[in-house]
Amino acid sequence: MKTLAEVLQDWEAVIGLEIHTELTTLETKMFCDCKLSHGDAPNTHVCPVCLGLPGALPVPNQQAIEAIVMAGLACNCDIQRRSQFYRKHYFYPDMAKNYQITQGPVAICMHGHLDLEIPTDAAAERSLDARAYVLPVRIQRIHMEEDAAKMVHVGGEEGRISLASESLIDYNRCGTPLIELVTEPDLRTPAEARLFMEKLRQIFLTLGISDCSLESGSMRCDGNVSLRRRGSSELGVKCEMKNLNSFKALHDALAYEICRQAEQLEQGLPVVQETRHWEPSQHCTVTMRVKETNDDYRFFPDPDLAPLDLSDEFIEHCRLRIPELPDTKIARYCASWGLRHREANMLAADPIWTHFFEQAAQGQSPQTVQQLAKVLLNDVAGWFKATGHSLDDGSLTPEQLVELCHLLDSHQLASNHISALLDLLVQQDGQLEELLDQAGLRQISDTAALQKIVAAVLARSSDQQRQYQMGNTKVLGYLVGQCMKESHGSGNPKLFKELLVRALGTLGAPVGTSSAE
Amino acid sequence: MSCTTPLPLNIDQLSATEIAHAVHAKELSATEVAKASLAAIEARDGKVQAFLELSAELALEAAHETDRRIAAGEDLGLLAGVPLALKDNLQLLGTHTTCASLMLKDYQSVYTASCVAQLLAEGATPVGKTNMDEFAFGSSSESSAYHPSYNPWDLQRVPGGSSGGSAAAVAAGEVPLALGSDTGGSIRQPASFCGVVGFKPSYGSVSRYGVVAFGSSLEQVGPLARTVADVALTMDALVHTGRDPFDATNRAVKPSFCAALDQPLEGLRIGIVPKLMELEGLSAECQQAVLLAQKQLEDQGAHIVPVDLPHISAAIAAYYVIGPCEAFSNLARFDGVRYGYQEADQKLFARQTALSRAHGFGKEARRRQLLGAYLLTSGVYDQYYYPAQQLRTLISQDYERAFERCDALLLPTVPRTAFRLGELEKPTEMYAADLFTVSSNIVGNGSISVPMGLGADSGMPVSVQFQGPVFADQRLMSLAQAIERSTNWAGTVAPQFAGKGGEL
Repeated sequence: MKTLAEVLQDWEAVIGLEIHTELTTLETKMFCDCKLSHGDAPNTHVCPVCLGLPGALPVPNQQAIEAIVMAGLACNCDIQRRSQFYRKHYFYPDMAKNYQITQGPVAICMHGHLDLEIPTDAAAERSLDARAYVLPVRIQRIHMEEDAAKMVHVGGEEGRISLASESLIDYNRCGTPLIELVTEPDLRTPAEARLFMEKLRQIFLTLGISDCSLESGSMRCDGNVSLRRRGSSELGVKCEMKNLNSFKALHDALAYEICRQAEQLEQGLPVVQETRHWEPSQHCTVTMRVKETNDDYRFFPDPDLAPLDLSDEFIEHCRLRIPELPDTKIARYCASWGLRHREANMLAADPIWTHFFEQAAQGQSPQTVQQLAKVLLNDVAGWFKATGHSLDDGSLTPEQLVELCHLLDSHQLASNHISALLDLLVQQDGQLEELLDQAGLRQISDTAALQKIVAAVLARSSDQQRQYQMGNTKVLGYLVGQCMKESHGSGNPKLFKELLVRALGTLGAPVGTSSAE
Repeated sequence: MSCTTPLPLNIDQLSATEIAHAVHAKELSATEVAKASLAAIEARDGKVQAFLELSAELALEAAHETDRRIAAGEDLGLLAGVPLALKDNLQLLGTHTTCASLMLKDYQSVYTASCVAQLLAEGATPVGKTNMDEFAFGSSSESSAYHPSYNPWDLQRVPGGSSGGSAAAVAAGEVPLALGSDTGGSIRQPASFCGVVGFKPSYGSVSRYGVVAFGSSLEQVGPLARTVADVALTMDALVHTGRDPFDATNRAVKPSFCAALDQPLEGLRIGIVPKLMELEGLSAECQQAVLLAQKQLEDQGAHIVPVDLPHISAAIAAYYVIGPCEAFSNLARFDGVRYGYQEADQKLFARQTALSRAHGFGKEARRRQLLGAYLLTSGVYDQYYYPAQQLRTLISQDYERAFERCDALLLPTVPRTAFRLGELEKPTEMYAADLFTVSSNIVGNGSISVPMGLGADSGMPVSVQFQGPVFADQRLMSLAQAIERSTNWAGTVAPQFAGKGGEL
């Protein structure tokens, strides 16, 4: 099979996404009072309504309507003053009534768009010399619906129904408020699709309407992709990808599928319209079901639910509840603190990080804020990754981050000791400065003390001295390392360097310094 | 009213209103009333077969509770001690709710319908569940999967349907009060066949939560009783606590039905639709009933005005599109997976579902669902469902215009009196009998059927129907009562059952 880059020289991929998001932060289900839950004992949050028992009736959850209106406004959609719930029929036990309550031709949110910033590395997927660009992605609609129950196929392959000995149903999830966003087919590369999904997730997290977990399935993405010859404007036959439960899966499945379809088409074989399942272990997509005929869901307006009339006041009330969205936040971080776009983007991605960072940054100078961002995104994030701690477990407070930066700034702490200090901080509470001394991590910046070490190192490094004099200033790094080792890591490396340069200088200036650097 | 005269000897001589008064006044205990009603059922229902299930234990429990409240001096509800029969599509904890279908043969209610809970909270005594057409599809109660019910006025004839069991139980004097549901005439038509009062309230007045749905946008629960006052009392009890938060289509209605009784008719304009009076198929005795009612109303000070409902003839067509579509959808949940009839020994899910539905539903239930499934198919939908909804708007507009010229409409309830069992074989013949009732389900306005005595030709009960503007149901009470005054029919029990069992 050709590589993606090879394929995209001849072919254009046309990609559209359908993204389902459970409104996990609400208290109750879409049409009844049952609690939303995750991981509770099966079938413990059920009632006649979500079990679809005879005679039960749905009553819409107003908070869910508020959440979808906020989502629609954040995605620049037209909020429809009047829309309707429809019934979508199919016989499958995950839907207690054998129909799903969803929306018809008019969804609450219609005709939106998001502008997607594609950085250089992702832009390279379009063509190798592409620079960063902004891609406007149209959103067809966002509609409100209810989630199905969860089915567990015992004994099946990878939890699927084939070869399963029995199928169990957990109705706890049945009736969870779900919003489905459908994009227009405006995406052209897997990287763009991934970035769209990431951006949408940032927005929904900021709105606080969902925990947006791809892993646990509270945010689920199906990708539709077809190919056409470059320059053509006709649409090819599309396939739908499922099981894209990570950003990487979304990217890789689309990339694989584009290459697979190209191979088919280049061999003169047709692409069959079908639903395909991404197999992460095999790194390929496989046929799930072929759509020979269009499913007839017998849509019709749900007679149990009157048309939804949204007043201007209600929509305004939702608009006022929207917090600062990531795009605005990123622009503000860059403008007022001089953060790099990449840093600002990372900080704006997750409300927990945003909140933490803004607390730490409060009242600080731009320089300090830049350092806060750097330490948080590099050192602290690295430590989180290594230790399994996270920003919301209280292992570090915004005040402690500020103190950490202060210690670094005043050369009392070396950046390579940050993780050791954080390790200590979670073991025993206390002032960072005290812990610093207790663990002997305080950086020595006493020139006299360091000078002794420099002298000792130089005394046994005549080779390196000679090289330095010959113009190889790279040995300076080696010598600083030796000093650090000698001081058990507690010497200030910057000072060591200064002292070394001075000492080596008195021994004779290096030759040809102008060309050596 | 006050009961200063000596109490009668049989339960069937008392109206619901009278029972509630007597219980309030400690002249009767709820328990003796309950026992009398159960005894009347015991003595009479072998022939009438109005009931699918008796709930004697629940009844006695409820009656004891009412008696305890009386003894403790606690507040009593509007229906204290009144025996109540429930159509078998109403959920009541402690009973089976089968909808007269094999599909729900052993299905036990896991909750109680809001309307039932409301009447129980008002002190009613639930004596049992009544027979019906399977899932309320029909006009004769013959499509019950269990047994037919019989018209207490002539056991060769049907009691009507789909709330046939409820109408028959009231007409035979087994209970003073029953609840039915009306999707296309299913309260009014059996009330008419059995010579009792039947009321379909305006859509949204009574909560549908816990009523096994057939046509969600069409149906309402309402009372069947032997007097208009009992119907009014039951309506007050049903809407007493305001809007039900469990039904999004429900709304608050003033409990002022009893207050609307005994209002003078002076100056009221009663609309007659001449076109409907000349319809082929309207029997002479049913036409005569309307003419007689017209005269009685005029005698009491009302004016008769002719009005037109230009699209009324399309009501049946619209109904038989919308009804089956909603029925297909509502009944899709019966797949035999978690409850209800399940075809044994099936290895494939699709086959198990298909066979459970093929064998769990009766003929008419299958017919309506197949029709609905077809009508909702993409492509077909636009040809039928959409025009049916347009007709619905047109017919509603017809009614609005008519009610600019009159305060209520007077029309027949049914084209003919009760037919014999097995007499109507073609489904379309049965559907045509809904002619005078379906439009009010299409429009959503309230309508009441009130007896006019016995027909000259058939000797069976005849009746007339009043329809009012949407959510102006109270006035229908005084109109029906005016007829009741003239006919002197109030409280009539089918003669061959009157006084059999049920002594107090």
